[in-house]
Amino acid sequence: MLALPILGVGIAAVLASLARPRIASVVGVIAALAALTVYLTQVSSVAEGLIPTAAFGAVPALGIAGGLRLDGLSLVFVLLITGIGALILLFAEGYLADDPKRKRLVAMLLVFMLAMLGAVTADDVIVLFVFWELTSLTSFLLVGYKHEREASRRAALQALLVTGGGGLVLLAGLILLTMAAGTTSLSGIIAAQSAVLADPLASVAMVLIILGCFTKSAQVPFHFWLPNAMAAPTPVSAYLHSATMVKLGVYLLARLNPLYQEEALWQALLSYGGIATALTGVCLAFRETDLKRVLAYTTVTALGTLVMLIGIAPDLSITAAMTFLVVHAFYKAALFMIAGAIDHAAGTRDASQLRGLGQVMPVTALAAGLAAFSMAGLPPFVGFVAKELIYEAKLEMGSAATGLIVAGFLVNAATVAIAVVLSWRLFAGRQLVAPSGAASPPHDPPLSMMVGPVVLACLGLMAGTLPTVLGAVLIDPAVTAVLGRPADVTLKLWHGFNAVLALSAATVAVGIVLYLLWERLVPRLKAVSLLDRFGPSVGYEHWLAATLRLATRTTTTIQHGSLTGYVRTLVLVMAVACLGMLILRGGVAWPQGGASLDARAGLGGLMLIGLGGTVLARTALQAVLAMGLVGFTTALVFLMFGAPDVAFTQFVVETLLVVILTTALMRLPIQGRDGRSRQQKLGDAGVALLCGVAVAAVLAAVLASPFDPRLSVWFGAESLPAAHGRNVVNVILVDFRALDTLGEITVLAIAAFAVVALLRSNRPADPAAPSPQGPLA
Amino acid sequence: MTPIQMADVGIILPELFLAVSAMGLLMLGVFGRGRDTARTIAWGAVLVLAITAVMVMGMGGEVRVAMNGQFRTDGFTVFMKVLALLGAAAALVLSIDYFERAKIARFEYPVLVVLATLGMMLMISANSLMALYVGLELQSLALYVCASFHRDDVRSTEAGLKYFVLGALSSGMLLYGASLVYGFTGATGFDAIAAALHHGGENHGDGAHTLPSVGVVVGLVFVIAGLAFKVSAVPFHMWTPDVYEGAPTPVTALFAAAPKIAAIALFVRVLAGPFEHLVAQWQQVIVLVSIASMALGAFAAISQSSMKRLLAYSSIGHMGYALVGLAAGSQAGVTGIALYMALYLPMTAATFGILLCLRIDGQPVDRISDLAGLSRTRPGLAAALAVAMFSMAGIPPLAGFFGKLYVFLAAIEAGLTTLAVLGVLASVVGAYYYLRIIKLMYFDEPTVQFEAGQSTAVVAVISLSTAVTVLFIAMPSALIGPARLAAATLFGG
Repeated sequence: MLALPILGVGIAAVLASLARPRIASVVGVIAALAALTVYLTQVSSVAEGLIPTAAFGAVPALGIAGGLRLDGLSLVFVLLITGIGALILLFAEGYLADDPKRKRLVAMLLVFMLAMLGAVTADDVIVLFVFWELTSLTSFLLVGYKHEREASRRAALQALLVTGGGGLVLLAGLILLTMAAGTTSLSGIIAAQSAVLADPLASVAMVLIILGCFTKSAQVPFHFWLPNAMAAPTPVSAYLHSATMVKLGVYLLARLNPLYQEEALWQALLSYGGIATALTGVCLAFRETDLKRVLAYTTVTALGTLVMLIGIAPDLSITAAMTFLVVHAFYKAALFMIAGAIDHAAGTRDASQLRGLGQVMPVTALAAGLAAFSMAGLPPFVGFVAKELIYEAKLEMGSAATGLIVAGFLVNAATVAIAVVLSWRLFAGRQLVAPSGAASPPHDPPLSMMVGPVVLACLGLMAGTLPTVLGAVLIDPAVTAVLGRPADVTLKLWHGFNAVLALSAATVAVGIVLYLLWERLVPRLKAVSLLDRFGPSVGYEHWLAATLRLATRTTTTIQHGSLTGYVRTLVLVMAVACLGMLILRGGVAWPQGGASLDARAGLGGLMLIGLGGTVLARTALQAVLAMGLVGFTTALVFLMFGAPDVAFTQFVVETLLVVILTTALMRLPIQGRDGRSRQQKLGDAGVALLCGVAVAAVLAAVLASPFDPRLSVWFGAESLPAAHGRNVVNVILVDFRALDTLGEITVLAIAAFAVVALLRSNRPADPAAPSPQGPLA
Repeated sequence: MTPIQMADVGIILPELFLAVSAMGLLMLGVFGRGRDTARTIAWGAVLVLAITAVMVMGMGGEVRVAMNGQFRTDGFTVFMKVLALLGAAAALVLSIDYFERAKIARFEYPVLVVLATLGMMLMISANSLMALYVGLELQSLALYVCASFHRDDVRSTEAGLKYFVLGALSSGMLLYGASLVYGFTGATGFDAIAAALHHGGENHGDGAHTLPSVGVVVGLVFVIAGLAFKVSAVPFHMWTPDVYEGAPTPVTALFAAAPKIAAIALFVRVLAGPFEHLVAQWQQVIVLVSIASMALGAFAAISQSSMKRLLAYSSIGHMGYALVGLAAGSQAGVTGIALYMALYLPMTAATFGILLCLRIDGQPVDRISDLAGLSRTRPGLAAALAVAMFSMAGIPPLAGFFGKLYVFLAAIEAGLTTLAVLGVLASVVGAYYYLRIIKLMYFDEPTVQFEAGQSTAVVAVISLSTAVTVLFIAMPSALIGPARLAAATLFGG
């Protein structure tokens, strides 16, 4: 049952992407309305406290336990998502009537709707996260819908990076939560509250989740993406950026409130974060004249208020939050659509250029007035109910909340002022300022664009006059879900004459004063360039640019393409690894009694001469010969320490090495001198020295560790009786490891053939051609 | 030493079949007289790889050891071998059309790929340091040649040379490490080394030692370095971008999948097998390597303009994520790795297939900017590439997300929270460049015209891979179940 609307919307999205544009819109609206109907049938059972669940898609293999769950909180959201979704789809049909690609928008809006429905009804954190990220992705595509415009593309990417990145932070938090609770089921996690809170990482998980929610719900300091996302077409802004997607963070915070509501950190972060966001939002709103950006900042304000209300937690504030959530969705979506209609009709969204539109757009003006009354929180609109509740909740907290009350008062007064700007200033008056960009005189938009705003505005009025119905049907179950227990608050329009009403009246008065100052305030605030230079938006730009620079630098320093450089890095890493390991483990040691000096030490001198010759050699050939000296001296060392067979092997190997290297070098067209600069030479010398030290240290440490004599004892004991030989090394070679020796000889022989073949075939075809001029010639 | 039993032959039958088939294909190539020899042999090789995969699957998940303990087959080896075989087969299918167009179709290439795959199977099944080295070199030598297969092309030969020199160096390191380990444990067999190290802790000499001897640890460090080179983990990754870019694109497709799978499997086998008791010693190394790989993969890829180089960095990053699972050192971690590689394979195959379908002047597209507006010129391929990129970025509900999820979960369970957090951060940065490609394809204007015509076989590989990536969420147990079993046999057996 609960999966049905989600599936239906998904199918509709596919159909819409295949159908013709107009049909696509119809399909979308029908799907949204059908989903709404399905959810409406659940209203009565949810109000009675029965919570429908569906164990869909339980995937034990993925460890995904739960399915879908529709409690009061989810119900409020699904009704908003589907109901407003239907109106928005209708609006989009009118708004984009000239756009042949609009079915793409319809399809994407439906996919977004699907993601939202999934996210708010999921009872499993993984499922929730999947849908959460899907909303970020669809929002990316929707914001970037007008992809020909650079601004759209940047805004789309910014929205995705901020919300998508926040989503991953959220995932980290959710995983920690899952680990602590031992289940991925959301209701299970909340039920396992004591285990979750006892976990040592509990507060880490909490902060990560809050961060994730803050990015999604555009809280300070992540608020900057929301106004930029206004580059999206208006239906998208109205739907995603006011009514639904940005509320997803609020949803999750509310959802997890039963878990964390007693935690001081949770309360502090949410209430202060929320009020800071609300204040930032109104301040920035006063710097804008573009209707959509003004609305975006007031949305930021509203989101901040919601988060703050969840943070202060007692019954009243949660009731206020849920009421305000619904109210805000109603009036803000309506106002966005009205802004779109004005843009559509007048060709501009600049509030400073628009006056007296009421004469030519009477229906729009009516809807705008109704919505703005609700926004300003005037009776008898539902906005008034919400605002009264908010004040009441804060007053109930007593003196501790003085700061919150003052801040809230300012926020509300400013909201009143903006509401007046959006209604009175735009529509009233006689003098019609003719907007420059309009092709024809402004007029009311077509019916499809009017239905949404009018319906939503009227809903605000109806809900305001019948607050008890709204409370019983929607708000109470939602509050129960958020608190984890029922709350005893009834919604009322009229509370009598009390402190709250006095505050409300004062709010309206201050709001009107602010409105009168609006025209002078906006340019002043716009002139404050500090915000443009130091805001988080700038931080984001810097961060992005720095990442790109870092990337370039990484590539050019690490991936320079020089093979010599790669080899240098490789040996250096190994040297550092060996030395580091020895030092860290305290493994640096000197073999006992192995350092006695006698006549044989003179061989060391010979080796050093060879080494010096190699280092100082001017040509490769000299270096090879000098290296040969080192090798031959090593053979002498073997000889003197009583291993003549090893010594002879070393002699042979060394001779072969020198001969082969020389032959190879003579055939390679190597140019004379070594072209390294002095600095490079010093660097290489350093690398070589470090490697030498590392190898020496490892050797010393290895020699110092106790010798494991098992093998040598075994071979010593067995060689005479088992193989009838007295020379243990010979016996090993020709008896115990006879097959290995045979194999080695065979390999050497084959290699020799290959070398001969190569040398023969590689001879210059033309004997007259000059032989390569090398240093060795 | 006991003589080789008939039962042993049964256990190594898939490898025997592959080896004999490689010889047969080689003979066919040398003595064949058809015009289409190269094509016939390529398809023959694909068939051989497919048959081998079926034979490997027939081995089942039980632990069996053959050839005097040199060779082991269990659920994990079966899982990884099938992946490697599929990867090699997919790369071969992708190569046929390209080599014919580039007029460098030679029968040696399929034979080399089959031989390299044989090496991979030996690596995965190796149960001693010697078998490990033989397998590794068989694979590497064949691949060195493949890298420079377009031998008239300067970049291809340079790629081959770089790969060879650095590869030889790393093989040398591995060998040096292996001989140190042998010297200090007295054994080359994995089981015997594990036993020696298990006891080595206590009864070493004076009894005061509780740590393994320096020699073993130095040996281990060198072995890890050699293996890290093969999986192209930082700081042994330098060859990857250059070789990816220089080698012909289908060869890059081969490098990106099958050898990585084999090397990761070997890494797991070695560290979780003989060195199981030295977890404390290697865990920190793997953590460091993993963090460095994820970070480099994420940051360096951003500034790339070449698609192949970008994929090189992306594969470095992916190996970093896979190593997160190894760092966990637990059964859950190995499950994560197995799953990660199983999901990495289709994403990689699809991406390279798409690149091969987009040709400009006969060459596969390589400049990232050329992908602009692909959604308008080639909507199908653009959608497939978008799926692959979203999946590589680890964005749910596509398959790549679950690969990451599993390794990170394993890391957190093992107490490596920092590693997991850094991994998540790296994937955020990584998402940026994958998404940039999607943005280019969907939001920008087309700048170039691609040649028409694409090989059905390549399209089939793309479709199949994309289907796996998208539909994984619908049937996750189809892969997770086997991955769990694979990890279980590694730890239970």
